[in-house]
Amino acid sequence: MDWRCQIESIGVKMPVKRLTTTELLNKIKTPCINKFGLLTGISERKVCSSGEDSFSLAVDAAKDCLSFSKYRADELDMIINCSITKYKDGLSHLYEPAFSTLIKKAIGAGKAMTFDISNACAGMLTGVYIADKFIRQGIIKNCMIVSGEYISNICDHAIKNIKTSVSSELSSLTLGDCGAAAIVERTTDNNNGLIVSGFTTLSKYSNLCTGRQNRYAPGGRMKTNAKKIHHSAIYESVPIVKDALKKSNLSFKEIAWLIPHQTSRSSIISGANYYLGYFGEKPGQIAVTLKETGNTASTTHFLALYRYLNERRFSEHDNIMLLCFASGLIIGAVIFKMNKMVYRYGNIN
Amino acid sequence: MGTLINMVAVARPHLRFYPGNSIRLSARAARQCLIDSGVKPGDLGLIINTGIYRHRNIGEPAIASLIQEMISTKRANKVNSCNCNNTFSFDLNNGGCGMMTGIEIIHGSLNNHEISYGMVVTGDSEPFPGMSKEFNINSAAAAIILSESNDSNGFSLFRTYHYPKYSEEFRSCTFYNKTGNNGKGKNILNVIQKASYPDFCVDCAVKSLFTFLDECGKALDEIDLIIPSQSPTGLTKKMKIHIGMDDNFIELSNKGNKVFHTAGMAFALKKVWDDNRFKNSKNIIFLTVGSGINVSVALYKNQK
Repeated sequence: MDWRCQIESIGVKMPVKRLTTTELLNKIKTPCINKFGLLTGISERKVCSSGEDSFSLAVDAAKDCLSFSKYRADELDMIINCSITKYKDGLSHLYEPAFSTLIKKAIGAGKAMTFDISNACAGMLTGVYIADKFIRQGIIKNCMIVSGEYISNICDHAIKNIKTSVSSELSSLTLGDCGAAAIVERTTDNNNGLIVSGFTTLSKYSNLCTGRQNRYAPGGRMKTNAKKIHHSAIYESVPIVKDALKKSNLSFKEIAWLIPHQTSRSSIISGANYYLGYFGEKPGQIAVTLKETGNTASTTHFLALYRYLNERRFSEHDNIMLLCFASGLIIGAVIFKMNKMVYRYGNIN
Repeated sequence: MGTLINMVAVARPHLRFYPGNSIRLSARAARQCLIDSGVKPGDLGLIINTGIYRHRNIGEPAIASLIQEMISTKRANKVNSCNCNNTFSFDLNNGGCGMMTGIEIIHGSLNNHEISYGMVVTGDSEPFPGMSKEFNINSAAAAIILSESNDSNGFSLFRTYHYPKYSEEFRSCTFYNKTGNNGKGKNILNVIQKASYPDFCVDCAVKSLFTFLDECGKALDEIDLIIPSQSPTGLTKKMKIHIGMDDNFIELSNKGNKVFHTAGMAFALKKVWDDNRFKNSKNIIFLTVGSGINVSVALYKNQK
């Protein structure tokens, strides 16, 4: 039997508390950044309040996902947690047991096999890649991929350290919190589902973006060589995109929606222009969804999908390309055909 | 088709009094594994790191990509090249069962003919030396290279059993101590293991082992070797008594109260690999136990 994998449902949990870019920049002691909001396209981000953390975001996103799904929690065969941050009970980073074990318990997914993966901002798409392998082998019928990112605390550290407009912690100001979950399932329908997923790790760029736990303060810190990682990602992604299109027998203009990793508006636009120059054609639409959410790390693609599903922007059979760039440097492309999921989201009226 | 173990390599810190750097240790084990197997770094299609306690608690990039860089898995990726068959790497965390889960994922990729070789690498060390409580894990790293077999030899069946009612028995997390670092505060890694945890692990492991044997239609006396994980303390000793196996249940000798954590299974494998017992055994069971409590079991067949 030739099994394929398709996205069955998506859920998201956004914190309610807003932090505008103006409020954030006002906290920096040495005013040095002009046009940050204009360049990044981020006007605000959602941040966790007291009682919210990576775990609560992940659990709430998983519950939201189940509310759109035909599956009950106890029917899930596998749960993969893909978040970079594993904060539970505030800023306490959990090592063991695996986060997914606790998520499984919280949502009542009794029979699910669980494990965590971590692959920076490519986490959830790496989860899709792994779930696809298990589904194609016939080991599982469905899998929930979930992530809760509580990364706004990195901003707090950056605010104290940014002194100039070329600070390596400037990218930390783009971050926002979010939880996202997706259920992927087995399908035998050749016209729907995942067409191709291809990833590569270009480790020679692994030092361009590093994040780790603070030693002497709660939360984490991140340092990025934003300019270099952006140029490397765009330049190196061309063969991966080309290969993905070739494997799926599609041209770039047949991609109805290109959803890149949401870092900043200017980098998305310059990347799109580079692709236009190389391929000589462009996809139907390019998603830019970071204005009110910022860069939400591993959850950005599913947050964009969820938002556009609710805005009923997708049509059934649309070819969608999810393009990820993550520190490592990981470049990946997932192409899938939108299925009947479009009818379950948003308000028809 | 099965999945063969091409080589296993392990690494410990050179200096006994210094816990070492988990990333460098992992890279050392990975490099040694490549040298011993004759596999070139560029031949690895997938690298999965399953270590949990990582140097300075680096969150990104994935430790696997740093290890990949250290073992020089660098590929030319020219714009005009159509070859996108590069190495992909990521981290996986499944407690003491991480290596088995990693092997299962690579088994899937090998069976789909997407890759020729895959590597599971793991390494643990105290993230910030001297900044943890009850951390009794040996600094150690291990790497295993896997490839596809043309017959039924190698790994053929994987199962993971879950016992979520014991999820509170073991927990390790950081907490912020405001009074540490001369009043400036610091993050401390706290490992909380209930006294009953080792016994529950033994019970779950024994139950899972016999369920697995039933599933694959084998009796315990048909199994030549059992290669288990080595944590928590006392697991191997108690399991030996429970199932009535002696020398063929591989146990590492422990000095002090420190245990081999995610790399424990690979260290046990290395022991029987070097004395040729692995090659001379027909049916081998790999059994790992991790917090959760999760138990992963796999059957490995060897053509005699």
